[in-house]
Amino acid sequence: MSKQADIAIIGIGVTRFGELFHQSYDDLVRDAAMQAVADSGVSMDDIGAAWLSTAFPEIGVFKGRSGMDLSEPLSLYNIPVTRVSNFCASGADAIRNAVNSLRAGECDVALALGVEKLRDRQPQDSIVKMMVEYGHPFLQKGFTAAGTFAVYANRMIKEFGVTREDISTVSVKNHYHGSLNEKAFYRKPCSLEEVMKSQMVANPLTVLDSCPTTDGAACVIMVRAEDVDKKKHKPIYIKGLGLSVSTGWDLPFFDPNHDFLSFEATRQAAKTAYKQAGITNPIDEIDLVEVHDCFSIVELLTYEDLGLCKQGEAKELIRGKETQLGGKIPVNVSGGLLSCGHPVGATGIRMVVEVANHLRGNAGERQVKNAKRGLTHNIGGPGAIASVIILEN
Amino acid sequence: MSTIISYGIALPHFRIEDSILNPKGKKGVMKAVCYTDEDIITLAYEATKDIPKGTIDGIFFATSTPVFQNRYHASYLADLLNLNQGILALDFTAGSRSGTDALLLAHEFIDTGKYNNILVVAADVVFPETGKELTAPFGHGVCALLLSNEKGNTEITTARSFSSALAEEFTYKLNDIQYDPRFSRDAGFKNNVSFSLKNIVKNPKTIDAVILNSLYARMAGGIFAKEGFEESQFAKDTLTSKIGNTGSAHALLLLINELENGKKNILLADYTNGTNYFEIKSTGAPKKKLLQEQLSSFDLINSYQDYLLIKKAGDFKSSQYSTKEMFSSEMMAEREKDTLLYLKGFKCEECGTIYYLKSTRCKKCKCDKFSIVQLNKTGTVYTLTNEHYFPASFPPIAMLVIDLDGGGRITVQQTDTMFPDKNNITIGSKVKLVLRKMIENDAKPNYFWKAISNE
Repeated sequence: MSKQADIAIIGIGVTRFGELFHQSYDDLVRDAAMQAVADSGVSMDDIGAAWLSTAFPEIGVFKGRSGMDLSEPLSLYNIPVTRVSNFCASGADAIRNAVNSLRAGECDVALALGVEKLRDRQPQDSIVKMMVEYGHPFLQKGFTAAGTFAVYANRMIKEFGVTREDISTVSVKNHYHGSLNEKAFYRKPCSLEEVMKSQMVANPLTVLDSCPTTDGAACVIMVRAEDVDKKKHKPIYIKGLGLSVSTGWDLPFFDPNHDFLSFEATRQAAKTAYKQAGITNPIDEIDLVEVHDCFSIVELLTYEDLGLCKQGEAKELIRGKETQLGGKIPVNVSGGLLSCGHPVGATGIRMVVEVANHLRGNAGERQVKNAKRGLTHNIGGPGAIASVIILEN
Repeated sequence: MSTIISYGIALPHFRIEDSILNPKGKKGVMKAVCYTDEDIITLAYEATKDIPKGTIDGIFFATSTPVFQNRYHASYLADLLNLNQGILALDFTAGSRSGTDALLLAHEFIDTGKYNNILVVAADVVFPETGKELTAPFGHGVCALLLSNEKGNTEITTARSFSSALAEEFTYKLNDIQYDPRFSRDAGFKNNVSFSLKNIVKNPKTIDAVILNSLYARMAGGIFAKEGFEESQFAKDTLTSKIGNTGSAHALLLLINELENGKKNILLADYTNGTNYFEIKSTGAPKKKLLQEQLSSFDLINSYQDYLLIKKAGDFKSSQYSTKEMFSSEMMAEREKDTLLYLKGFKCEECGTIYYLKSTRCKKCKCDKFSIVQLNKTGTVYTLTNEHYFPASFPPIAMLVIDLDGGGRITVQQTDTMFPDKNNITIGSKVKLVLRKMIENDAKPNYFWKAISNE
């Protein structure tokens, strides 16, 4: 593949995440987009193409089924707008599509926005309902999202000597980080005992090992690096971008080759992104990481899949506090999905905004010192789809 | 003449004592009770799955508690068992005598030489109204017999039916109608049994077990004595106190019980609105006593509340969530039958990996050629979890990822998990697949595999 043009993020915006009962889907779109537009210094009319990421219109407010649900709240008409849907990797995929459009010369300024409005319904009506009432009548019936990851946890416990304490320590760490993030849903630290004694969801994962699905939106505005005006912009460069669909909805649970110890999709996406960014030793070459901790076990497992440690050694990283703020490689200093909440389509873009803030030195209390390079990671479906993005300042 | 060349039994795993059903009930007297995801179909499948099916050319399904309307249970079961398309499949649903009705007709069909092997299945699952658990006879179970024209150890030598106009209790257009019980017992039961007995038994002394299946069996001593029987010839109904009165399956279960006890000349009489008689000659007890095995293996339901949960009000609940809705599709069930029901897997012709689900290319070696293989119903748990938030009668639902013996991986729910403390299934445990209802709330039955311990 030939050397690709560098792409710069020049505008970022993110709403508060949580139960935003006072904001509608459209309000969230406006909130995130107007922040990004103001930050970028471009005008709304400069945007040449846009991508909207909403993963679950049908269990939300039935908005986000197409690009028009971005155009309408922003009055952003007469340009191409595409809805992107790739489960939890939807946001990252919106960015990928925008990047490719810029590289192809389709537009000069591209906007990617992720938004999800899940709390206009009762919690019982959302993701659990989807797993219970829809889907194949037999295959995987009985699983909720937590269960599909808990089966990995139990295998990790068996194979690698990971303990429940290790898993729950991820949650303790991220809730501490979240307490420093003014936009996070949960801003209260919690103890290991609280995590382990909270309501069991799918053993060994408790409620506090599981992220809440919330409302929220995030937005980035991008241009080609050559178009960056250093006087006006504080650019963050996209140096690597990998996305991989490595299995399907049902296959992980019916494939005898699958070991439930790793997500092939993450490994593939990381491989692509590392190659583009010229990274060979991630733990030494990356300063901060945002990992898709939808359930605490996923963060642990992803340390290994991202190559931050060898397989089976994730427990050492968490036990040595290496991934805590101030450690060798801080992971989820935003608080992660566990604290911020998980508006599915917005999460990937929220992570990019978080890392960009650190690379700009704007992250306040939770700033990772001298951050030069960061990574964001999402995993969607039952470990089927993963994205990895490498950002530099 | 016909022979019983094979049989199968299915009793639910759980029993409830009368003392739990009602404070006046006796301890130690039990009823067999279906788990939340069992019904006559799943029990009938369980009873018939190991019966040799090679040459079956007819299937009769008897029940007084049908679950389908406008659909033949016999046809449905024939399909579950993957019997030949279009075979003779009849339902017998008149009442609790229908089990022996089916047996009688199967015997006659074979005796005339038109049919070679007929599978007779009698199944009843009913829950009495709340408060009537001790007075209304109930108990869940299925008995299946394979009747054949081949030679065998157990022969039906005579089969006859004597009708009576008098039913003790019946419904007419949904209205319950009952004669004066003294009238119906004298003019109905006693009259019919004594009339028919005169016409059937030639040589009472040769019989070593008389089985009379009737709620009035105890009043029949005098009638039988008149015809030359002695009290010692009577086979006492020892099943009712262990599993309850299983309705249309009961007479057949009593017959199997006596065969397993080694009785050689049996007179079976089954009275409901008329009497069916059979004379059966056996050369000795079967080696594997299926009924005795299932009678001795059970767990007790320990509260009336659990019994009510098993009975189900209709909603599909967990502590957090309840629903009446769950997607079910007759089209999908039919289209994907080979995979979903018959467990046909796909074997990669290059590397030999066996997949449960169809794929275009092997995940391991990318070969695109597969042959179809039959997967096994036993296996080992590879990994698992307990789902506390998925609606279930007895949450949590255990989800098991199972490597099947001989190849193939499947992920299914564990069932019979009323007592979470007893569900000691972990990674590495041996399990087996059983057919159960996926949607428990009966709004739309659909049947799929679940797992139970096989250790």
